[in-house]
Amino acid sequence: MLDGIMIGLTTALNPTNLLFVVCGCLVGTFIGMLPGLGPMSAIALMIPIAASLDPSAGIILMAAVYYGAIFGGSTSSILINAPGVASTVATSFDGYPMAKKGKAGKALAIAAYSSFSGGVIGAILLLIAAPSLAKVSLSFHSTDYFALMVLGLTAVAAFSGQGNMLKAMLMTVVGLMLSTVGTDQTQGIQRFTLGMIDLLDGISFLLLVMATFALSEALMAILRPAGSDEDRKREQEAHSNLGSMKVSKEEVKELAPVVGRSSILGFLVGVLPGAGATIASFLAYGTEQRLAGPKKGKLFGTGSIRGLSAPETANNAAATGSFVPLLTLGIPGSGTTAIMLGALIGYGIQPGPRLYIDQPDVFWSVIVSMWIGNIILLVLNLPLIPYIAKILAIPARFLLPLILFFSLIGVYFVSFNTFDIQLMIIFAVAAVTLRLLDFPLAPMILGFILGGMMEENLRRALLINNDSWSFLWERGLTLTILSIAVLTLIVPMLLPYFQKWRKDADRAGEGG
Amino acid sequence: MFFTKRRIGAFLLLGFCITYAVLSQRIPLLPFQQDSAFHARTMPEILSVLAIGICILIIALPSPAEYVELKGKNWIVGFAFLVLMSIYGLTIRPFGFILASTMLLGVGYWLLGERKLWLLAITSIPVAVAFWALMSIGLGVFIEPLPWFLRG
Repeated sequence: MLDGIMIGLTTALNPTNLLFVVCGCLVGTFIGMLPGLGPMSAIALMIPIAASLDPSAGIILMAAVYYGAIFGGSTSSILINAPGVASTVATSFDGYPMAKKGKAGKALAIAAYSSFSGGVIGAILLLIAAPSLAKVSLSFHSTDYFALMVLGLTAVAAFSGQGNMLKAMLMTVVGLMLSTVGTDQTQGIQRFTLGMIDLLDGISFLLLVMATFALSEALMAILRPAGSDEDRKREQEAHSNLGSMKVSKEEVKELAPVVGRSSILGFLVGVLPGAGATIASFLAYGTEQRLAGPKKGKLFGTGSIRGLSAPETANNAAATGSFVPLLTLGIPGSGTTAIMLGALIGYGIQPGPRLYIDQPDVFWSVIVSMWIGNIILLVLNLPLIPYIAKILAIPARFLLPLILFFSLIGVYFVSFNTFDIQLMIIFAVAAVTLRLLDFPLAPMILGFILGGMMEENLRRALLINNDSWSFLWERGLTLTILSIAVLTLIVPMLLPYFQKWRKDADRAGEGG
Repeated sequence: MFFTKRRIGAFLLLGFCITYAVLSQRIPLLPFQQDSAFHARTMPEILSVLAIGICILIIALPSPAEYVELKGKNWIVGFAFLVLMSIYGLTIRPFGFILASTMLLGVGYWLLGERKLWLLAITSIPVAVAFWALMSIGLGVFIEPLPWFLRG
């Protein structure tokens, strides 16, 4: 492990890569701060640039953009109550009330320290968990991988929240469907190309991500009516008067156990495929509220520093945790890591247990860059926050066309095919329609990324088993993983009925 | 009302899935592949059945009373942006990167309410030129900057 850390340190501390971490953190903070644009859009916008770099530098850049965007999302949550991403919604519960009380500076500082702690503790846990899991997963067969991918995809649906499960499942399948467009890799047969030469290579991953996230986010913002003058006045006041950024010793003492608990909770939730930073932040918030007791628990939602620190720590630890399945199994745990997986595949790198052995520089530099990224976020971004916050004052009429421009040329500069621009517009229209109908898009990206690998593993599994589907129940590990996948789907479906049954039973008990 | 957000979405995706299922039957197979357990149609067929099943479930199951709000959105501006982006795709080659990009940005700012010509110019031309310079000079990626009538 020490050798690995040294390899990671040498790669990540290379001056060029260090510059990418700094730029990535700043750019990520900038993009994440813009309401509506989150880590996924930020990373998507970075792919064309990352594609021109070597794999380690590219991944380091994207990872830095990722933390930066999460940090930036917290800033807009605190200052203007407009979370850039779902994972920072819980941050606004107490962060925004603090800002309204004139403690925006303190809220930003607590958010920054908590993010830093969550990220660093998460990276330590990743350092321990990733190599161990990578070693275990070396014994996995293609049947197990197929089962793992099924588990990953079902978990995404299961964690999408009550009432959204079927929608998330459908979007995952739609993503899998889109991945089948193009020439079949093993047999060379054209599928769903509609006779178009431009579709022979399939739909570009970058095109799909840019269209469904960056482009559709900008189009959604264009469709929204402009805010009132009062809103704008309130926002401007928030960015111009941040107050003191000092955190007292008593506050640090109060927050230390919160940070410890939320880091571990966040990391564990992040490791679960599909769960991610949003669930982690809400779970941590709820847990701390319960642990705070009735007196301090009541302060949650009115500007409690515990209520601010818990979700901020957890979402960063979860962001780090989501790298565990990506780096060790090659299965992304979230939409963001799905985009990173796509980028890695673009480099010709197949993440999975072999990555640890075949490309240790990529594996370790990602882990080490997480520490460096978090330090840079704290040292560089925190003092710059009062200035970066001014970005929020750039009028949307200038920002939105720029986002559209960067999205379009981001895709065009990779393929130099104008057909891609038109295809992107079609996907953006579809994405906007689905957003207006409240259909989630992240599961679609996950399905799209895993589609090719899933088909390949299924084909291989059937080939090894002489065209027999019996591998699904004959191999113990495969069966176990598939059973967990079925349980993850069934349990959330049955949970409401169970809760209703328990309530009825309690009522009957009280009545009797 | 029957047509909730969820059901409209499911109906739209059902249309997509049925089309996908029909097209999956047009994937050519070689004679020896017909009887094998896995061929180019296997995955699309499984996915078609799964997706159509889920769509029908979403439509049939009780749905929360959330309806599509069409009022109060800037549809015309949104549509204008789609046309603008499409024109950008068609003009980027003949008009060259700088002119096409300046047009995209300038018209974009104008559509969102900026009317000062000098501001439109200083926020679009330098961006297009700077980006062209960054790609061509900085990263060595050649992009035709000039329109067809100015090329040598």
